[in-house]
Amino acid sequence: MKLSLTWLKDYVAVGVSPEKLAHKLTMAGLEVEKILTVGAETVFELEITPNRPDCLSVLGLAREVSAVLNVSRKVPRLPKRLFPSAPCNIRILDRKGCLRYVGTLIRNVRIGQAPEWIKKRLVSLEMRSINNAVDITNFCLMETGQPLHVFDYDKLEGGKIVVRRASAGETLVTIDGIERKLDSSILVIADNKGPVAIAGVMGGKDTQVTENTKNILLESAYFDPTLIRQMARALGISSESSYRFERGVDYDMVKSGAQRAIGLLLDCTSGRLAGYSDEVVAHQRLAGPVINLQKDRVRRFLGADIPVPRCRRILQSLGFDIKASKKDILKVKPPVFREDIQEEMDVVEEIARVNGYDDLPVSLPVVKVTSLAADVRWKFRQTIRASLLAQGVNEVITYSLINEKDLARTKQTQFQVIKIQNPLASDQGILRPSLLPSLLSVAAFNINRGQKNLKLFETGRIYLSDGEKEALGILITGRHEADWRENRKYAFDFYDMKGIATQVIARVCAKDLNMENDSHPFFTAGQDVSVVVNGTPLGSLGKVADEVLVNWDIKQRNVFFVQIDLEALRSFYGVFDEKRYRSLVEYPAIVRDVSLAVNKGICFKEVSAVALRLGGGILDSVKFVEEYRGDKIPLGRRGIVFSLCYRAHDRTLREEEVNNTHEQIVRAFVVELGAIRR
Amino acid sequence: MSWNFQEIQETIEKEASQVANLKDLETFRIKYLGRKGLVQEIFASLSSLPHMERPLVGKSVNTLRSNITTIVEDKKKAIRDRCAGIAAPLEELDVTIPGVTMGVGHQHVLTQTIDAICSIFEGLGFVVQEGPEIETEFNNFTALNIPVDHPSRDSFDTFYIDSPDPQRKGRYQLMRSHTSPAQIRVMQNNAPPLAVVVPGRVYRPDSVDASHSFMFHQIEGLLVDVDIRFSDLKGLLTVFCQRFFGKKIKMRFRPHFFPFTEPSAEVDISCYICGGNGWVAPSSSVLSSMNTSLTGEPQGCSVCRRKGWLEIMGCGMVHPRVFTAAGYPKGKYVGLAFGLGVERIAMLKYGINDIRIFFENDVRFLEQF
Repeated sequence: MKLSLTWLKDYVAVGVSPEKLAHKLTMAGLEVEKILTVGAETVFELEITPNRPDCLSVLGLAREVSAVLNVSRKVPRLPKRLFPSAPCNIRILDRKGCLRYVGTLIRNVRIGQAPEWIKKRLVSLEMRSINNAVDITNFCLMETGQPLHVFDYDKLEGGKIVVRRASAGETLVTIDGIERKLDSSILVIADNKGPVAIAGVMGGKDTQVTENTKNILLESAYFDPTLIRQMARALGISSESSYRFERGVDYDMVKSGAQRAIGLLLDCTSGRLAGYSDEVVAHQRLAGPVINLQKDRVRRFLGADIPVPRCRRILQSLGFDIKASKKDILKVKPPVFREDIQEEMDVVEEIARVNGYDDLPVSLPVVKVTSLAADVRWKFRQTIRASLLAQGVNEVITYSLINEKDLARTKQTQFQVIKIQNPLASDQGILRPSLLPSLLSVAAFNINRGQKNLKLFETGRIYLSDGEKEALGILITGRHEADWRENRKYAFDFYDMKGIATQVIARVCAKDLNMENDSHPFFTAGQDVSVVVNGTPLGSLGKVADEVLVNWDIKQRNVFFVQIDLEALRSFYGVFDEKRYRSLVEYPAIVRDVSLAVNKGICFKEVSAVALRLGGGILDSVKFVEEYRGDKIPLGRRGIVFSLCYRAHDRTLREEEVNNTHEQIVRAFVVELGAIRR
Repeated sequence: MSWNFQEIQETIEKEASQVANLKDLETFRIKYLGRKGLVQEIFASLSSLPHMERPLVGKSVNTLRSNITTIVEDKKKAIRDRCAGIAAPLEELDVTIPGVTMGVGHQHVLTQTIDAICSIFEGLGFVVQEGPEIETEFNNFTALNIPVDHPSRDSFDTFYIDSPDPQRKGRYQLMRSHTSPAQIRVMQNNAPPLAVVVPGRVYRPDSVDASHSFMFHQIEGLLVDVDIRFSDLKGLLTVFCQRFFGKKIKMRFRPHFFPFTEPSAEVDISCYICGGNGWVAPSSSVLSSMNTSLTGEPQGCSVCRRKGWLEIMGCGMVHPRVFTAAGYPKGKYVGLAFGLGVERIAMLKYGINDIRIFFENDVRFLEQF
């Protein structure tokens, strides 16, 4: 909303510098965004909040200025005028869309240039001057906030105005020359033949006033705000008129705004008043509430002592009617144009606002201790995050809305997805059911920019048919960070991914963790497991399948991913009785290495299970050392090296004792597992 | 058997003087102090001595043992000192070569910002709560005093999903457009006093550009009790801003409009780039943050656009109708609420000028924080 200070000064004695006025208005909730200089004029650009349509005019702002600066104000003088008894032919068919319509017929007008003083005002607001009739409607719109429209009366078929919904198939060329397709969602002003204007939004080209116009019909109306808003959005038009109608114009101003324009039109076009109608559909807007303001409410609520006379003065200057003042209560009635004032708190806000928030006192609240604890998800996520950051994994945040096609690219078509009904683009089409597409897209983005060694994680929601769930996704690809002292550079593999996942899970849960072979279309066979905690599958881990990587244009092939259901994992969190202190053994350990060639079908877990079973209470742990697959191993076998650590908690073990047990274990490897000692 | 302690002592000292390294010293120590060493041998012989001699010999052997121990310790220290003196000049390191680190991960700047803000409020006695991102129309709008025909409910401003709303027939669930519905849930489940902050993702169908994103983060705060005043709101947020932005910043509370608070305000802080002047002193370090017209004329501070102030959050006193919607008795409670956009705060704090970079996750960006 633009405001010319010269125009404002017609109605209120400002008496302070523009900068000071801008500050005062801003601090009363009418934010001055910019102070512009247009020619010799100073113009404010204000941001008016949607609850204050009454401030979208010079007169409305004059009222605010008078309250804020505590100065008097004037209103334009409307001379008493004798209206002709001849009515205009107006029919309101949509009685919900149009609550009031004031039509005025003026004959024998001379259309030409508007007077200089009107043109100057419009130019200062960067509005184009068209002709005297149109300029006057724009002038009155800016001054009173009431949108007005003039029709060339002789172009109205049948000399008639009908306010109705358009029918499907009807069209109208608006004054901007664009042909608009209409339907029943659009309220139009029509004549006998068809639509001549889109109500409250824009007039039609055929019926606009030109220099050849002889007779004009002036429209001043109240249209339903919600309807106008929907129409303006659907048509993609935002005009000064629709902007005001969709916020709600002043019901009383429909008439007085028209009167202001009639006076100027008669003066400037030498026309003659020939017809007038005020069609009122509904009066309900006239009945505003009477609100009881408790006098000590202001003090109790704001913590400030604002004297009652000051409160009265503020409210009166804003147009409130003080109905009565009793011992404890002020009965106030807000003006009709202040639909935002409904209850006591709204009145308190008006007093606080005009008084200035900056002048209100400051205190510190007492925050009481309660039994409500922090959300368990919050602390849990922080613990998970800390473990991952310590392991060198970077945190990412990606969009929860993704393209449905990304699931097919990722070979994750098993989900019943939740769709967005009104996405702006197809890449916001669905709620993601998995974190894999998101992390693959981050990987692809970085790899394209030459950043090929990545360790990434995200904690975020996934959305399944039974609702949203928090999940953890980790993706690694490329190589370990190089240490300049070592020349070897390791590429990430399955065991890096497993190690990261294991460490995160162990950080929050003392339960038994297993990785069990599984098969997913998006993972590579043989490097595809499900992550099982305490017998419950919590997620899957593996090497992303080559076909998926091709679909995402990722050329490097060692991409590993794990997704873990954090809500299921959290159910094991905080069970502290599982974690028990084990006293540190002071007696020395005896470590024996074992090197075996085992059949390919035998896994390390089976081998260590044998050792632990026969360990006889003195085998403390089994530690994996190395795996070897090569020509030195008989076909169909692989070499594994691991160490067995013997230790007793109550004595120093004797050599012979360890030798006995160790021999027994190694013999079992050979006998039970068919292993060959190397 | 009798022992000549004088002679033994002399032999030991002579032998010790010839010890040159730690290995020889250890051999020496074992010879005299070891389990089968001389001292043990003397002790073992005590039982075969006449009773009369035992105390004397015992005393002497104890003295001998302590003498040898002293010799060994002194010798050890001397050898170590000498070795240190020799070794140092041989291994001179190039100390300018980079150190080797474990390569720690970087927390995303947005969650860092969320943590920093929430921990300030946690320190003031607030409790972090979270809520679902899929919400009902009641929690997201109706309970927050947003009228049924309000534009924010339009499909232009809110994402609706294809699952029916359990609370309203014929309508659908939505992606929360702010974190405020979580407040409603907290209030429905807990009686005052309440002091909570709610961080989380929110969604709005905005076309993506440098300052808009269809997904972003908010933090919402709520304090409810029987005696909260508007002055408490000013005080609380002043404390927050000073802790987060520094003690030097100036603040102002500007009246604003939100349906769920009354009175409502926006909080502005003085611009940290221009210090609230609207103009940047032309030093080279800040020139990059200035707009320059085609003629090269400075256009003033681009961060606050010459206003001198930066909007950082919205706040207000909880609207009585919000309490009613949460099921609280009428007129019993008062509360204050505030909300801020995490991306905006992070952009201001770190001088980031494009919101999209948060979600691109370029590792060069991630690793700056």
